[in-house]
Amino acid sequence: MTRDADTAAPPPRTVYVVDDDPAMRHSLGWLIGSLGLEVRSFASAEEFLRALRPDQPGCLVTDVRMPGMSGLELQDMLARAGSMLAVVVITGHADVPMAARAFRGGAVDFLEKPFNDQLLLDRVHEALETSTQSWAAHARKARVRSLLARLTPRERQVAHLVVAGKLNKVIAAEINLSPKTVEVHRHNVMEKLEVGSVADLTRLLIEAE
Amino acid sequence: MRTIARPSRLTLAGACVALWVGLAAGNGAAAEPPVRVGVLAYRGGDHANAVWEPTIRYLAERFPERGAVMVPLDLSGMDAAVRARTLDFVLTNTGNYVELEARYGVTRIATLHSSRAGASGGSIGSTVIVRADREDIRDLSDLRGRTVMAIDPDAFGGFQVAWGEMLKAGVDPYRDLKELRFSGFPIDRVAFAVRDGESDVGVLRACLLEELVAEGRVDARRFRVLAPKTVPGFDCALSTDLYPDWPLARLASTPEELAKAVVVALFQMPDDHPAARAGGYEGWTVPLDYQPVHALFRALRIGPYRYLRDVSLVDVAREHWEWLAVGALALLWWAVHSLRVEHLIKVRTAELRAANRDLVHEMAERRRAEETARERQKEMDHVARLSILGEMASNLAHELNQPLGAIANYARGCIRRLEAGTLDPAQLAEVTGAIAEQAERAGQIMARIRNFVRKRAPQMEPTDINEAVQAAITLCQGQAHNGHVPIALALSDDLPPVLADRVQIEQVVLNLVKNALDATVGTAPGAAEDTRRTVRVRTGRDGKGRVEVAVTDQGHGLSEEARARLFAPFFTTKPDGMGLGLSICRTIVEAHGGHLWATDNPGGGLTMRFVLPAIEESETHDS
Repeated sequence: MTRDADTAAPPPRTVYVVDDDPAMRHSLGWLIGSLGLEVRSFASAEEFLRALRPDQPGCLVTDVRMPGMSGLELQDMLARAGSMLAVVVITGHADVPMAARAFRGGAVDFLEKPFNDQLLLDRVHEALETSTQSWAAHARKARVRSLLARLTPRERQVAHLVVAGKLNKVIAAEINLSPKTVEVHRHNVMEKLEVGSVADLTRLLIEAE
Repeated sequence: MRTIARPSRLTLAGACVALWVGLAAGNGAAAEPPVRVGVLAYRGGDHANAVWEPTIRYLAERFPERGAVMVPLDLSGMDAAVRARTLDFVLTNTGNYVELEARYGVTRIATLHSSRAGASGGSIGSTVIVRADREDIRDLSDLRGRTVMAIDPDAFGGFQVAWGEMLKAGVDPYRDLKELRFSGFPIDRVAFAVRDGESDVGVLRACLLEELVAEGRVDARRFRVLAPKTVPGFDCALSTDLYPDWPLARLASTPEELAKAVVVALFQMPDDHPAARAGGYEGWTVPLDYQPVHALFRALRIGPYRYLRDVSLVDVAREHWEWLAVGALALLWWAVHSLRVEHLIKVRTAELRAANRDLVHEMAERRRAEETARERQKEMDHVARLSILGEMASNLAHELNQPLGAIANYARGCIRRLEAGTLDPAQLAEVTGAIAEQAERAGQIMARIRNFVRKRAPQMEPTDINEAVQAAITLCQGQAHNGHVPIALALSDDLPPVLADRVQIEQVVLNLVKNALDATVGTAPGAAEDTRRTVRVRTGRDGKGRVEVAVTDQGHGLSEEARARLFAPFFTTKPDGMGLGLSICRTIVEAHGGHLWATDNPGGGLTMRFVLPAIEESETHDS
């Protein structure tokens, strides 16, 4: 049995709004806030980037045309930094290349102002869901890596041979150890990785790939 | 010609400025068609091209704005083209000119000047040739009963002049010859026909024989010239008197100024100009007297005197029947004569009536044409206005989107909170306040646009140029913003006021800044180039104490060609621009006693600059 990553605290469901127009920014906050979500607003992409922690999950609602970095450039930058934010792009002036770029960059949706409020809120929900999932996957992977880091090189070697389905005797012959020593390594591996069976060990190693 | 762009968003970026007032002025000078010169192609189109194309090109160079085109025409084509008034000028032979003058009122404005001209200035005559071995034909009177070939019944030097000379020698070519044949254009065939014995006698335009010999196409020794004449200064073989050379004539419909300009251009052509050499002439001279041509045509009863021909049968009859009973004939003659007179009166009346009808018809047609032109002008103005409105509407829509979107968000947020029971009164008060604020913001946008669009007479008043610049910049902030191009202002704060219509000056600045933004947005965005992507607007004083406004972009700059035509109406480098913006800007600035020009930046891009007289100087400068 593996313990899932949800042993860590679930991330706060935060929506980040980036729009240079103060009224638009404030009103978006008011609208999205009506869902009971936490909303944080920023007047520019740069201001947002300064305030953001790279591994923070959540939903980003950004305007495209802003002085300085545009919404699409912000989206690219977040993707390159491996951010787990899901992005909803809004614009007053849509064209096809712009939409194509937003979707290629992995946007949840690309909405043209004026947009239907229900549509926006649905997308925000969807974005939070996506982001939470990728955050959870990320957290799980991080945990597996930290477990594997506990093993000595010899133990890691033994672990892989065990997962390959080899008996202790065979392993012992292959790496020139006594079956007794292999038995000890094997025990340590199960202990350190907090797994109770070969099946669980296999799953964990695959996850770490 | 540039097509008038359909109204579209970017059309006339600057022409928001296009003041309703300035528009007509902007359109007026535009789109003049090239000067059309009909040329009689008497030896076929290729020959006409070789001979006259350099002359037309000379004219085209003298009218770089319009250019000039050559229209090679044969005699009937010439008649039709002049009738239809599809030409501005005709360059045609003397006989054809006299005909066109009488029929359509074309007027000669210059005559070709030839080195071969005789003392009278005339240089056109006929050469009557026979084969050198035809000892039986020594004089024009020997033509009786022979075969004669000429070019065309309408050819002047190639037939009509010789015809007059034959009549003088007592030979009527239409009656006394064995056969009168016409070779048609091109005319080289006449010489060949005589050489090959197909025709006893040939009639050529004087000097054509020499030209054919020089081209090596015939051998001079094979021919003899009948009734040779010598005229001092004229060194071609000649059998007749000399008449004036080809004129250049204007049509009645050709504008006076254009005719004048063309005359000036032609008179200034140097003797040895390539065009003159190609045309075999030595420049142009004042139009010669074509009266001798009229006299000849009257004698021949051709061209405008064709109607005289009606009498000729009677004349002939009289000549031959004189010896019959004079009394009886006299009676008969009187009878016939009175009938004739009556008939003639009828014919002339009918002709006059027909001419009158034609005239009325022509006037109606001209009026219609003028109306069409006016309509088109109006349409063009309208299109310009529409495209400006189109752009304004697009900007307006975009700007209004923000407050309206915000209002919608606030309202929806309120409804959702009401439904969820989470709306607290303090928040509601705050948000309703925000809604009202956004509604006001929308109202202000509308008011600004209304102010801008309103038609108004210019109001000259002392104006702070910095205020005008700032107001204009506010209007383009939206575009600057969308294109991520910052506008950097450097306004000098010790400027004297200028006497100006503030709105017009705002519009000039707006136009210049919008152009600069368009040019800058066109360059690729890139973080490293951030400082380049700035439009700078500066105010200050120039060396003469005038107030100067400079708008600098770091865009793609201008080609040589674009720079030369920068201020020409309908010139544009934008894919869907109309090319009116700068033309109108210049008109406005100049109406203010100022000056607008463009300079290249050392680092690329363009600076548009204008100066206006400062108020303390305007009294001394005003004239």
